Amino acid sequence: MRNPFIVFVLAAITVAAQAPKPYTPPRMPDGHPDLQGTYDLATLTPLERPAGASAVLSKEEAAKLERAAAVAREEGDKSIKGDRPAPPKGGDGSRGAAGNVGGYNTGWLDPGSTYTVVDGQKRSSIVIDPPNGRVPAAKPEARRRALSLIARPTSDAQESNDPGLEPPGSYDDPERRPLGERCLLGFGSTSGPPALPDYFYNNLHQIVQTRDAVMILTEMVHDVRVVRMNARHLPKTIRKWMGDSVGRWEGDTLVVDTTNFTDKTRFHGSTENLHVVERFTRVDPKTLLYRFTIDDPDTWEKPWSGEYAWPATDSHIYEYACHEANYALSDILHGARVREEEAKK
Amino acid sequence: MKMLLAIPVLLGGLPLAAHHAFGGEFDANRPVLLRGKVVKTEWVNPHAWIHVEVTKTDGTKEVWMVEGGSPNSLLRRGLTKASLPEGTEIVVDGYQARDHTVLRANGRNVTFADGRKLFLGSSGPGEPPKDAVPTDQAKPPAR
Repeated sequence: MRNPFIVFVLAAITVAAQAPKPYTPPRMPDGHPDLQGTYDLATLTPLERPAGASAVLSKEEAAKLERAAAVAREEGDKSIKGDRPAPPKGGDGSRGAAGNVGGYNTGWLDPGSTYTVVDGQKRSSIVIDPPNGRVPAAKPEARRRALSLIARPTSDAQESNDPGLEPPGSYDDPERRPLGERCLLGFGSTSGPPALPDYFYNNLHQIVQTRDAVMILTEMVHDVRVVRMNARHLPKTIRKWMGDSVGRWEGDTLVVDTTNFTDKTRFHGSTENLHVVERFTRVDPKTLLYRFTIDDPDTWEKPWSGEYAWPATDSHIYEYACHEANYALSDILHGARVREEEAKK
Repeated sequence: MKMLLAIPVLLGGLPLAAHHAFGGEFDANRPVLLRGKVVKTEWVNPHAWIHVEVTKTDGTKEVWMVEGGSPNSLLRRGLTKASLPEGTEIVVDGYQARDHTVLRANGRNVTFADGRKLFLGSSGPGEPPKDAVPTDQAKPPAR
């Protein structure tokens, strides 16, 4: 092997043999990539990057965090005393959605166990633009709008002391309750667009695809979005809960453009002028890359974007039938009436 | 050192999106401890409900409804309402609904009589139950 030319040629062949081949997705009869399947969006990666974290987690950092999440889960599963007393009067101190009364056994939960991987990197946030990984601050007028939506006149003041941390008036009628609580849309923007993971459970989505339409089924609260391919948007007078989605192919990427939202969705404080562009690309046999760009000139100075992986799953989606036993909503509204009566005494 | 700091920050920053306001539904000033037998389970969304018959100190009985999570994630792990048969002795600690006229509470901790938690978590799907029909597998009945 003294001939330098032969050495060079052999080296080149070795490199070529080792270089990963560009992925060729399976195709539909119309020639476009087949994106169909069921995907589990559960992930530990939050929408926004926590303070102090870098955009990409090192292998060691990610492993440590994933282990910590697994340990927290194991802790939640541990046995406790069978002859225990009732929890403390005045609340158990649990914060956030658990509203000082706690939630339920961790066994019910099915959150993600790993950080999302994009381009081979473990990501610390779904938001990638702005580069700090945070949803940009809303314009002053958007903040005023949000306040005016919350601080409606109300006949009672008791609710401001609610450990659920909800402002006055929030319980005055069902239409003031969040859309998820009313079983109208998946909570936490699981139905989207943009479709975001939930950090509790039921993160499955199914895509069914034809030449003329792509259907995206969200298990949570059982929402279906039908993307009309190569179509024009509906007239502005026609508004839809999940907006009007039209699709087109840009190479092997499905691009879904959604407008015509109602003024009820208000993704992160947006208006009905919200414009969402989503991009679905099959990057390997088991993964879709999901990217989205959010624009609403009435809410943000400029568009912002996020991305995360949708891993395929063999698990099955089950019917949700959210209205079937939504005792919680009537309990919440009735509870508020009880408190009003108590306040009068 | 940086990593030691980053862990609690990241975990603490995990967003929680629950179906509803627990604090609006349940009363932090009405803690309850329920010990009794399962008499019925409602394996439904958005929340499953476990009905438990409790014997009061005066010997009379009353049936409480205990709120749990969504059954779908349990179905994927092979847990159905049959996994919690009638007659199972359970212990529940939680808080009563704000409307005190209804016997409903959240299942903050639901255990067997010896303190083992019900529905232990899992990091992945198990064997789906034989009698559960997934939406994505449903077929029209044979003619």
